[in-house]
Amino acid sequence: MNRISKILFAAAILALLLAACAPAAEPTEEPAAPPPAAEPDEPMEDILIGGIHPLTGGLAADGINMDRAIQMAIDEINAAGGVLGGAQLVYLSSDSTGAADVGQTEAERLISEGAQALICCFQSAVTSNVAAISEREGVPLVIDVAVMDSILDQGHTFTFRLQPNATSMGINGANYLKDIAEAAGDSVESVVILFEGTTGFGDSVRAAFAAEAANLGIEVLDEISFEPFAVTDLTTEMTRINALEPDVLVVTGYYNDGLLAARNAEEVGLDVKAVYGLAQGTYDQPQFVTDAGDLAQCFFDSNFHWDAGNPDALAVREAYASEFGEPMRTGAVFSYQSVYLIADAIERAGSSDPGAIRDALADSDYSEYLLPYTGNIQFDETGENINARPVLMQVQDGEVLQVWPTDLAEASPIYPCVSWGD
Amino acid sequence: MAVILQSRRRKIIFAAGAVLLLAILLGLNADQASEWFEQNDPVLRQALVTGILIGGVFALVAMGLTLIFGVLDIINFAHGALMTVGMYITFVLFDNYGIDPYISILITVPALFLIGVVVQRVIIRPASNAPPHNLLLLTLGLALLLQNAMLVIFSGTPRSIRLDYGRGETPIGPFIIDFPLHLFGTTITLNKLIAFIMAMVLAAGLYILLQKTDLGKAIRASAQDKEGAALVGVDIQRIGLITFGIGVACVGAAASLVLPFFFVDPVAGNTFNITAFVIVVLGGLGSIPGALLGAFIVGITQEMGVVFMPSSTKLLGVFIVFILVLLFRPQGLMGKKE
Repeated sequence: MNRISKILFAAAILALLLAACAPAAEPTEEPAAPPPAAEPDEPMEDILIGGIHPLTGGLAADGINMDRAIQMAIDEINAAGGVLGGAQLVYLSSDSTGAADVGQTEAERLISEGAQALICCFQSAVTSNVAAISEREGVPLVIDVAVMDSILDQGHTFTFRLQPNATSMGINGANYLKDIAEAAGDSVESVVILFEGTTGFGDSVRAAFAAEAANLGIEVLDEISFEPFAVTDLTTEMTRINALEPDVLVVTGYYNDGLLAARNAEEVGLDVKAVYGLAQGTYDQPQFVTDAGDLAQCFFDSNFHWDAGNPDALAVREAYASEFGEPMRTGAVFSYQSVYLIADAIERAGSSDPGAIRDALADSDYSEYLLPYTGNIQFDETGENINARPVLMQVQDGEVLQVWPTDLAEASPIYPCVSWGD
Repeated sequence: MAVILQSRRRKIIFAAGAVLLLAILLGLNADQASEWFEQNDPVLRQALVTGILIGGVFALVAMGLTLIFGVLDIINFAHGALMTVGMYITFVLFDNYGIDPYISILITVPALFLIGVVVQRVIIRPASNAPPHNLLLLTLGLALLLQNAMLVIFSGTPRSIRLDYGRGETPIGPFIIDFPLHLFGTTITLNKLIAFIMAMVLAAGLYILLQKTDLGKAIRASAQDKEGAALVGVDIQRIGLITFGIGVACVGAAASLVLPFFFVDPVAGNTFNITAFVIVVLGGLGSIPGALLGAFIVGITQEMGVVFMPSSTKLLGVFIVFILVLLFRPQGLMGKKE
């Protein structure tokens, strides 16, 4: 009896050690190298690409989605003959767990294991730390998703950002709002901003939006923050917002809290002309329509996005959906794009040396982009993508449609409109 | 005596300083105060209502936690993960079989009770002679194991359910009530109201069980003095099993009650568990009434934070109250003095 207990105890300890030590052992990890189809005369050395995303924790849904997209892009490139005339890309996947310090040690680990380029992180706080490591170690980093301006304010020369930064999100977001209101023959005089206040991203976007709103003559009546991973209810916040009587409620945050905000807004009968997501992780997701049903109608979201008018982007998303049985989220399209950007840089560098890849990335002029940008992917000296911009989307009859700017619009914006209005 | 007086005086000075600081921070004078109150009146009411409603659910989670601690001296870090298990059971029952989450309490509560019994028998009891920090790590490990297992099974995608009643006119008995209810300028949704009422009913049931039944007496006896209880014939091993089961069953009920207005992903239960830890310590480790009282204090304080702390996270207020309470009553509001 005693022995059985001891064995069980040992088994439990072993199990939890496994759980603690190998959180990255996701089903997403597949055998990296595909079967050797046509071996070149002399086998070329594999090129290692590291990826760091939150594969466990509150953001695991996005992180896993992005991780899979990287693997998918690498498999495609390898199947098409690899890079540099036959070298295979190998993916080193790792889990930031959503924590900045873990992301940092994972970056160090991947680089010590030979990663020649990194793609990361989905969270600004994690990205800041990883960028510092990539700079120190001289390994280029392509940021797929992370919005905080300050990541690239440190004078890093090895870091490149694919998505629009917080300033771009805020300035464009405020302008889009004013534009659609005016296009509808209406106006937006005042807003309240409800934002996640703990991971840095919400606050940086809020600040940029508020500054631009002041320029445009939109009054920011109040700014209310919440804690995205601890919030259980936003009814009191919504009551407070209702008492302030803004024209529009601007919401910035992640998926779950965005869903709570939408439900609670309906419950208190929030009296606004529109709810306007700003770099919001909910209102541009098809899953929002599934989860919220008819409540989702008319929610706006000004966010980074793939180009819904680009057939290549649609094909990639379809391929993803059929391979993994779940829709490819926006972030994953950016992760996917990052792999191709790095592969392009490796080809132009003619080398897999991290320094050479970095120089080639800095000279990028990538034209086969899937993103709704104003031109080829090019980076300025700080590493920002100079042609990046967000797109305004709106849920219309159960579909998330691009509605602004007009050159990207699939439909006209409906303003004013909330689904609980009479 | 002198030392006690001195320490008490120090505490009073400290508290007075804190209140003064708060007053200065708020920069209030009488005029502004009444104007401020008028402006924030609806928000204050809503904060009170939401705080009480959500406090009811917190109470259920916290009571399970404190019960387990009281009898077994285990701080169960897997409590949140077990709540997530209950949430997934509720979700699957609803999504696949269309079983209403309030009906599925009849399934989640026994299921979680059983899981609790198995966890206690297979994982915890064999290690019960180990130092307390080992037990702590054991439950933490179990939490990681469960979280990652759920991540593998259900993926990280958050799921939620949307009931087709409770919005608009809803027949309740002979009455037809328009939900969400708008009472005195506050909003009360049906799902939160049901969660609150059921949580209170279950809390009352637990109280009666502990106070009036032989089993309850045995549980309380084990909590007070294990050896003494064993001497008078209480099977403390069996009581340990049942207590752990009941404690975990509490989060099973909470899981089914919150899902209609919350969501579930592999770490969803932690949101409630973090708060439950604060509540349990605030109320006094091992005290059931303390957990109930603590839950309402935390619920209301948290929501009041929205009013009193502009542009700040609402948990800040909770921790201020937490520190103040522990300063004056280190054993918690209703905890026993060491």
